[in-house]
Amino acid sequence: MKINFIDKSLIPIWEKIQNSERLSFEDGIKLFQTNDLISLGKMANWYSFTKSGDSVYFVLNRKIEHTNICVLSCKFCDFAKKKGEPGAYEMTTEEILSKLSDEIQEVHITGAMPPDWNWERYIDIVKSIHSKFPKIDIKAYTAVEIDFFHKKFKIPVENILLELKDAGLKTLPGGGAEIFSERVRRLLFNQKIGEKRWLEIHKIAHRLGIPSNATMLYGHIETVEERVSHLVKLRKAQDESGGFLSFIPLAFQPGETGIKPKEDFTSAIDDLKTIAVSRLMLDNIPHIKAYWVMLTEEVAAVALNFGADDIDGTVGEEHIAHDAGAISPMKLAKEQIIRIIKEAGKVAVERDVFYNPIKIYGNKIIGKIPYLNSIPIYHNLKIEGYKTVTLFPSQLGKMIANGDISAGLISLVDYFKNKDKLKISKWCVSSRNKVQSVILFSKFSWENLHKKRIGISEETSTSVLLLKILLLKKYNVKADFEIFNPSLKNYSEYDAILLIGDNALRELYNPKKDFSYTYDLSEEWYSWQGLPFVFAVWVEKQNFTDEIIVDDIIIKQNIDKNLSNIGNIISYYKSTISLSDDKLIEYIKGFKYEINEEENLAINKFQNLLEEINVCLKV
Amino acid sequence: MLESIINKINSSERINFDEALYLLRRTDILDLGELGNIIRFRKNPDPHVTFVVDTNPNYTNVCTIDCIFCAFYRHPGEEGEYTLSIDELIQKFKESANKGVTTILLQGGVNPNLPLDYYLELVYRTRNEVPEIHPHFFSVSEIVGMAEVSKLPIEEVLQRLWDAGLRTIPGGGAEILSDRIKKKISHKKETSEQWLNVMRVAHRIGFKTTATMMYGHLETDEDIILHLESLRKLQDETQGFTAFIPWSFKPGNTPLEKIIPHYASSTRYLQIIALSRIYLDNFPHVQASWFSEGKKIGQIALHFGADDFGGTLLEENVHAAANYVSKSNTDEVISLIKKAGFIPVQRTTLYEILKIYN
Ligand code: SF4
Ligand code: SF4
Repeated sequence: MKINFIDKSLIPIWEKIQNSERLSFEDGIKLFQTNDLISLGKMANWYSFTKSGDSVYFVLNRKIEHTNICVLSCKFCDFAKKKGEPGAYEMTTEEILSKLSDEIQEVHITGAMPPDWNWERYIDIVKSIHSKFPKIDIKAYTAVEIDFFHKKFKIPVENILLELKDAGLKTLPGGGAEIFSERVRRLLFNQKIGEKRWLEIHKIAHRLGIPSNATMLYGHIETVEERVSHLVKLRKAQDESGGFLSFIPLAFQPGETGIKPKEDFTSAIDDLKTIAVSRLMLDNIPHIKAYWVMLTEEVAAVALNFGADDIDGTVGEEHIAHDAGAISPMKLAKEQIIRIIKEAGKVAVERDVFYNPIKIYGNKIIGKIPYLNSIPIYHNLKIEGYKTVTLFPSQLGKMIANGDISAGLISLVDYFKNKDKLKISKWCVSSRNKVQSVILFSKFSWENLHKKRIGISEETSTSVLLLKILLLKKYNVKADFEIFNPSLKNYSEYDAILLIGDNALRELYNPKKDFSYTYDLSEEWYSWQGLPFVFAVWVEKQNFTDEIIVDDIIIKQNIDKNLSNIGNIISYYKSTISLSDDKLIEYIKGFKYEINEEENLAINKFQNLLEEINVCLKV
Repeated sequence: MLESIINKINSSERINFDEALYLLRRTDILDLGELGNIIRFRKNPDPHVTFVVDTNPNYTNVCTIDCIFCAFYRHPGEEGEYTLSIDELIQKFKESANKGVTTILLQGGVNPNLPLDYYLELVYRTRNEVPEIHPHFFSVSEIVGMAEVSKLPIEEVLQRLWDAGLRTIPGGGAEILSDRIKKKISHKKETSEQWLNVMRVAHRIGFKTTATMMYGHLETDEDIILHLESLRKLQDETQGFTAFIPWSFKPGNTPLEKIIPHYASSTRYLQIIALSRIYLDNFPHVQASWFSEGKKIGQIALHFGADDFGGTLLEENVHAAANYVSKSNTDEVISLIKKAGFIPVQRTTLYEILKIYN
């Protein structure tokens, strides 16, 4: 992409971004100081595209603030009341339940800190919601509240979080981070926990398998340096614990708070810059949210082209921002959200609390797999009139079968399951002999895997079935399979684990003491069948007009061009995997992308073997 | 296509209808903004953003035109109707002048009970009794109304207004210059050709005017570009337009609300700003209409090709009637422009520089 920089001092930063180099503190400052808004936006939008494609996520959510009675009196807060003061309220669990319904996907629970609630009451809220509405994802209690529980009820933070998790909590909200600066904390939030404690609590949560979110409150008295340093500190924490799903910059609402910010409301330029700089600095946090309730609907809409890939949701009630005079309407209906996303030129993706897609709104969408081995097909693949949405293979398979997606690479097994709805093309991802990214790490040799526990992740249908065939047909052993979450890295609990994609590649060069055997499944297949193995195929949804969406020629030219230029392209993607360029290039060059006679034979052979082991390929 | 459009823009060539359609439909908003910005800085290389200290009162809300996008008017005799006397208006203008106002943007309904002399006298007395004020009076619909009431040709009405001392005319009432759309939303208003013709005649006499566009109702992308095309053509002929001011339809309290319940999105507004900056290569200025799109979006528009922030609008009733309240004042406008990264420059209605706020 070409950017016509007005501010030429941004050019070295842009080069870094394109080379997947991490931006420095100084880069962050420079980005905040530039007046070249469009160039800044273009960089952030480009970077966001490499992560999420054209997707903009939203969630059908509801915010619950269970009470506004607070023992603290933070200066910037005009939500809190003292007990007995007019306007003070406390919600019972029944009242909370009455505000929810089955349509809601996510509930966001935060509140003030009342003097007289017991621990059971907090747990009860989560438990009751979970039992009455098991489908609702519960995101509850900020780090400030968790710390308050810890002090008040004298329970270790670990236990608090584990009890909440058992009760049904899925993630923590990102509130209470304010700005990571002792100076500002002393002046404005001196009753609140500081950055150390906030980060500590989130890291504990991540370790316990509870992902969370992060925020930054800006537009009060903080300096640009303090903002950038907030981002750098978060980035470091994410390197360590990896559990932040999204980052949400919150524009300060002065309202009646008595705090005199530098101006009444943050300027729109500041809002957009903050979104864009966050996107560029936080290279390891998947999503950046334009929280429309605070930004206003209009600015949030523009922010979707400045690096934000999430616009929050339908929200319901929002007392904190509303009391302070936010000018957004209280409820932004789902349709309105979808319309805004569409007008911004993006694709609306309804999500759950973990950012799994639930539904995609729009047509003419190409599904993109975020794996290195599909780069030769996807890099620079722009089809006039089509948008791109990034999805994991299993999600893509489902979406294309539903008709939500027009074309994309899907797992071979997903193709088998939906053959009647799909057109197959000439393109695939296949390997002959070693593949390096479908690896069984095992404590036992093949022959000794009988009755052993093998951890598999659910996004791997084709690879899992390949493993099953190898075990049953090649080695005549029967193992037990268990679903596990590779990002938790509790590998050694299993006798063997199957890793695929970039995860496998990463671990292959990272010797495992626990596992003495490393099996490359494609190599195993090749030595057995003498055929390549086809992992994924490019398919298009059948349509009445029989029109081809992505021309063979276009894909062919794209693949040829990308492969001949792979040394340069690889740098865009390498930040996700710490391997040398040479290793990555060698890895990608090991794949074949065209379906020829041998690949066809391999596809048929695999399908026959699946039928032999009685895998049902009908849905 | 984008490549060839960029080449054209770089060599200062005009873009055509199809290219404009491509920019509106198929181009990423930031690519479009970048192009708008290139032209903006080519035309006005300084990082200046101009504004005028003005107020926007109304002299009457009586109207018989029944535009279905309008929440402002009352029929003759209806409750809430009003018409101010010339004395009252002059008094108002004097008060405004005392507050530092230099321009009065005066518009009203098309009131069949007001004789031409009312308008002429109003202009004449404003010039003589409040000389600090530049009168920027009467949209095309009102001028057509004057011609109907007085049974004089448009030329004659305009000439008399000129002789009374009027020098500029606001560009309202254009909506979308498509008769297919005008029939639906304002069937009793002048046709597109009439609107353009009033402007043509005014420019020939020597008037400077602005041009507006109201989008976000029933129009298509093609209608928008045809609107720009009509303006560009006329501007080639007369050079009488100073600025182009687009804004989006505000549905609140209007009959059209039932069909079009939403505002057009802010993204759309920025596209229109950038596209018009590119297409209207013969217009000196494109104005960010913060009073209709909000201050924040007004600020952003300055990075998408707009170089003028309009007026400070100490009084404004039309959007207020549609529940869209946006009040501002000189200090705030100056601060908004600065915070957007530009140097505020106070100007006259004719874009002469009065003061640079460095
Ligand atoms: S910000 Fe939170 S902790 Fe502080 S007073 Fe308000 S509700 Fe209480
Ligand atoms: S827009 Fe003007 S002409 Fe139309 S109804 Fe309103 S006041 Fe009358």
